[in-house]
Amino acid sequence: MMNEKELIGKIRELRQIKPRKDWVVLTKSQILGEEKKYTSLFFFRPVYASLIVVFILFGLFGISQNSLPGDLLYSIKKISEKSQAVFVSEKELPKYNLEIANKRLEELNEIAQTNQVKKLAPAISEFQANVSEAAKNLANVKGQDVEKIVAQTKKLEETKKKVEEVLATKIETEEYDNALAQLVEREIQDLEERTLTEEQTATLREAKADFEAGNYSDALIKILSLSQNNQ
Amino acid sequence: MADIKKTFGQIYDRYVEKIYRFIFFKVNSQEIAEDLASETFLKTWEVFKNGKEIENMQAFLYKTARNLVIDYYREKGKVQIVSAENPLITDPGQNLEEKAMLNSDLNTVRQALANLKEDYQNVIIWHYLDDLPIQEISYMLGRTEEATRVLLSRALKSLREKIENSQSNIS
Repeated sequence: MMNEKELIGKIRELRQIKPRKDWVVLTKSQILGEEKKYTSLFFFRPVYASLIVVFILFGLFGISQNSLPGDLLYSIKKISEKSQAVFVSEKELPKYNLEIANKRLEELNEIAQTNQVKKLAPAISEFQANVSEAAKNLANVKGQDVEKIVAQTKKLEETKKKVEEVLATKIETEEYDNALAQLVEREIQDLEERTLTEEQTATLREAKADFEAGNYSDALIKILSLSQNNQ
Repeated sequence: MADIKKTFGQIYDRYVEKIYRFIFFKVNSQEIAEDLASETFLKTWEVFKNGKEIENMQAFLYKTARNLVIDYYREKGKVQIVSAENPLITDPGQNLEEKAMLNSDLNTVRQALANLKEDYQNVIIWHYLDDLPIQEISYMLGRTEEATRVLLSRALKSLREKIENSQSNIS
């Protein structure tokens, strides 16, 4: 049985847990943009040293773009995406978030296809976190903005199907499905209140069938063709 | 701008280890701790560079980190579906650092600390690992110094019980 002093000593030993040095340096450079680290070789030539730091940073940015969840450079890739998101307008955000979710899904697809088992779990949770983020503002997309997202929702649906076939397991995206269903349902209701030609009514009927079958993107494409003709 | 960057660089150097460790105890994974710690500093930098006044940087960083951990678990709770029985999925948290820890008795203390309720866990990390004085902790918790001392003493007691329980389970 430990006395209090021993217990506190053990707790203090947990200070051994430290972040990786390369992560500490890289994250700082990422956040502050132009943090410079001179090596002794270039100490007297700061111009060259800073140039090299910039090249390395650009190089890392570039290389990190191909990294996958579980890779060393993956957090750099995410930071660069988050920095880009700051410049995205509110209106463009649903499309941007969908693009990012699609990116995550492409990564997951690559991991699944190449059977990189260890990276599967982080890749799945990355995808689900991003697709939930995309779901947040999806239901609020209105009017012409629907057109901007439909290509992304279609792509997401197709890639997800591919991944599920390879993994032989279903990837739950309940929040996203619900948000998309809400959007499609609202658009259908909106069209039902308008005057449609016979041909258009038939298309709407098909869209409703797609909606009921859970093929939201197909429904959305049909709805879009109707709204465009109706303008 | 260069001055602000320099100041924030110093803040980063001073707190990065503490913030990383604080998060690591809560999420138990190097990768997630790195992600959330990066985000903590990125968010703080956004506030800092826009000239908003941060009264107490340390308290602000811990608060941001806590909120990000809460968000992470909220998100995870919602989306967690991968079955534990799925043989394809391996535990992403099993990295080298953790494997080494598993074999030491320090791991018992770490596990016990990870299983404490949040208030107890925070107060122990802040006081014994990060060397924060009681006065600073009471400010962060919005409690009196006396109440913070009581909390710390209860936290230690609870930690000791958890360690003893796990040891008696092993023997």
